[in-house]
Amino acid sequence: MADEPGVFEPNAYISITRDNVIRLWITRSEMGQGVHTTLAMMLAEELEVDWSQIQYEQAMPGGRFKGIRLRTSGSGSTVGTYNALRKAGATAREMLIAAAAEKWNVDAGSCRAQQGTVVHLATGRKLTFGELVAGAARQKVPDNPTLKTPKDFRVIGKPLERIDGRAIVTGQAVYGIDVHAPGMLYAVMARCPFIGGKVAAFDATKALAVPGVRHILPVNSGLATGVAVVADYTWAALKGRDTLKVQWTPGPNAGFDSDHFLSQMGDQLAQRQDGYFVRDDGDARTALDTAAKKLEATYEFPFQAHAPVETMNCVADVRKGSCEIWAPTQCPEVVQSETAKMLGLPEDSVKVHITLVGGGFGRRLFADYVPEAVEVSRAIGKPVQMLWTRSDDMRCGFFHPSDVEHIVGGLDTDGRPIVWVQRSIGSNLSMFGFPTEKQQKNLRLYFNDGSPWGSFDNPYNFPNLKADFIPLNSPVPTGPWRAVEYPPTVFARESFLDEMAHAAGKDPLEFRLHLLEPGDVLKVGDAKIDRSRLIRVLQVAAEKSAWKHPLAHTEDRLWGRGVACNVYDEDCFIAQVAEVSVGRQSHDIRVHRIVCVSDCGIVVNPLGLEGQAESGITWGLSATLHGKIDFKGGAAVQENFQDFEVLRIDEAPAVETHIVVTDHPPGGFGETGVPPVAPSVANAIFAATGKRIRSLPITPGKLKAVG
Amino acid sequence: MSAFTLSVNGKRHLVDADSDMPLLWALRDFLRLTGTKYGCGMGVCGACTVHEDGEPVRSCQIPLSATAGKEYVTIEGLSAQGDHPCQTAWLVEDVSQCGYCQAGMIMQAAALILRKPSPTDADIDADLSDHICRCGTYQRMRRAIRRAASTVRKT
Repeated sequence: MADEPGVFEPNAYISITRDNVIRLWITRSEMGQGVHTTLAMMLAEELEVDWSQIQYEQAMPGGRFKGIRLRTSGSGSTVGTYNALRKAGATAREMLIAAAAEKWNVDAGSCRAQQGTVVHLATGRKLTFGELVAGAARQKVPDNPTLKTPKDFRVIGKPLERIDGRAIVTGQAVYGIDVHAPGMLYAVMARCPFIGGKVAAFDATKALAVPGVRHILPVNSGLATGVAVVADYTWAALKGRDTLKVQWTPGPNAGFDSDHFLSQMGDQLAQRQDGYFVRDDGDARTALDTAAKKLEATYEFPFQAHAPVETMNCVADVRKGSCEIWAPTQCPEVVQSETAKMLGLPEDSVKVHITLVGGGFGRRLFADYVPEAVEVSRAIGKPVQMLWTRSDDMRCGFFHPSDVEHIVGGLDTDGRPIVWVQRSIGSNLSMFGFPTEKQQKNLRLYFNDGSPWGSFDNPYNFPNLKADFIPLNSPVPTGPWRAVEYPPTVFARESFLDEMAHAAGKDPLEFRLHLLEPGDVLKVGDAKIDRSRLIRVLQVAAEKSAWKHPLAHTEDRLWGRGVACNVYDEDCFIAQVAEVSVGRQSHDIRVHRIVCVSDCGIVVNPLGLEGQAESGITWGLSATLHGKIDFKGGAAVQENFQDFEVLRIDEAPAVETHIVVTDHPPGGFGETGVPPVAPSVANAIFAATGKRIRSLPITPGKLKAVG
Repeated sequence: MSAFTLSVNGKRHLVDADSDMPLLWALRDFLRLTGTKYGCGMGVCGACTVHEDGEPVRSCQIPLSATAGKEYVTIEGLSAQGDHPCQTAWLVEDVSQCGYCQAGMIMQAAALILRKPSPTDADIDADLSDHICRCGTYQRMRRAIRRAASTVRKT
């Protein structure tokens, strides 16, 4: 019938054609955390299609997705889409069933959807979704479709392999750097190495003579200013840049030194006046005065780079009245709105293609590399790829802030922990913005509605617990790095807990279990933290790691186990036990095994969750044992993987992941594995050697220096 | 600028470029074979790994002037149907996360299992220790390589 709709699209996420082609749109960026797969699973579950039938598509900002969040952050993809996607799938399912019931003239309740068909149970009659497209498109969209109960799940909860795995292993997968638009030129920028510096002068004569180089122009719209070299192909652009003579004005931050900044943060410890309010339970001051035993320690966390293997890049094609962007981005809405603003265009005229992301880790929550490409494309009137080299990527852009944590703890005469006072000092501010006027006027408001994470949501039941935050900003542009505010605060918190346990003569794991009694729900701000779930993961971690049977030293190496735990954003509970050995003579550190136990409620894809455990642990180990970014003379020091070292396969421990199955709503796991890594390893090193290292990275040199 | 004849995945290509241009950029920008990736430009990450006469090499470190007479294979040419034992094993073990480094890993592994038909974890670690995966897929990679090796041994 010619006028019948050929496609059924009840919402932005689902499209079914008369030929039974079933397409599902993914509303998050795929950066390795598996969203192409998990979000498709949630849609497919309620839609009742066979997993093998579906094709997935990447959503884009605007158009049918206007008003639907695409930003990928905060380990929030599953949490943020679980209900919406299930509802979307169920909506389509009910309309398809209604269409079949109408066609067969039966009651909808006598029909079921299964594996891409609707079946009339009494007679066995069956129609494919494709055959029902026209009828379904006519149905009224239900407001409250019935969702399946978890016990009926066929897809959610299954260990499914990545839906995009084949494209990756055959080299067909398209990352931002792989995009080619017809007529595209390739650009790299000579970037100002000084934070906040600029171009004083440049001489392009030699560079313009390099074969293949087409244009040289200053670029001001990105985070760092510089001079772009645009060429027919990447190598010509790189060679052109090598011959470019640029004089830099170092600018106001030319003296910035990250070691000096650490000591400046340390100086803030002496500040007597309270910083921004974080927690204040009981009466910490009195408790400290009356404690039988007091101890204190300071922990240091350096600046960190993200260093994904795919560097920053963007393709922009600016035309009169429109712009098309291809970017490996975690923040496509920002890309669209910032580009529209820059070009004076309505947002609908800016098309943003979200490519596969070769590692996000929070770095791609900034769109700073997009305006650079836009500026150049606009200037030369051609599509252009702006590529950051590894050195650009490591030295410029956004970093995880450096941070100092100071904790004072007190025990009573029986060795029971009675007071905890934690002061966080750091340059977190440029992550979430400077304090608002409201916050500046009222220091009693939870800073940024619950910052710093890890201190604000300290889960332990100290009768007296005080925490504050002193912001000390640095000129370094900082932003979210995997697990954001948790790594430094949890490194300090979980290390110091061990220090208190040892001072009390108690086993560190038992010490934590005691501090989580009575397993009640801690309410702090808007957060509700179920201590019983943290108790459970600790107990399982103890069992699975054979915690009660200590590791024996060997002739060459000292062995130890360390524990750490954390709650990520109220809904994911994690405990890790690290097994470490340290060379007696060499002081080299080997992490042999990490037992990782998590409870994050309903798990959409356990295979994916295990992968994220291994992933977060590898990430955390790189920071624990190896890389950091130093700033000297206002510029980053490290520039490639030979001086910013990361974990490689020969140092990768065995990771044993255990999922505690609960039916709480799904929590997030993309970042959850990171925060416990540094403290569990530090605690294991202490157990092995008796040496306590309170700054990252923990190195043989630092161990040797303790003597 | 000179003309170079590159033999890639069994086909000959004529590339007009500077003799110092790394093979990596010839593959990506001239032949549009983008499966081979740029990660560091100095040969320390392995993302650019291809086969040169069957041996894994870093294409970002090979100038066009050194390519004469060599046969190159990229990830796109590793198998006709995407079913090289390493590719199949990679899928069965669900190795890839962001996937950007994986082509380089697979090319390295494909050569390893021919050289060492029964690789131990120590063999695998030693051979792949020059590669970087920021997503941390190392543990599954070990399993996939052992699986691929056993598949090859059976045939």
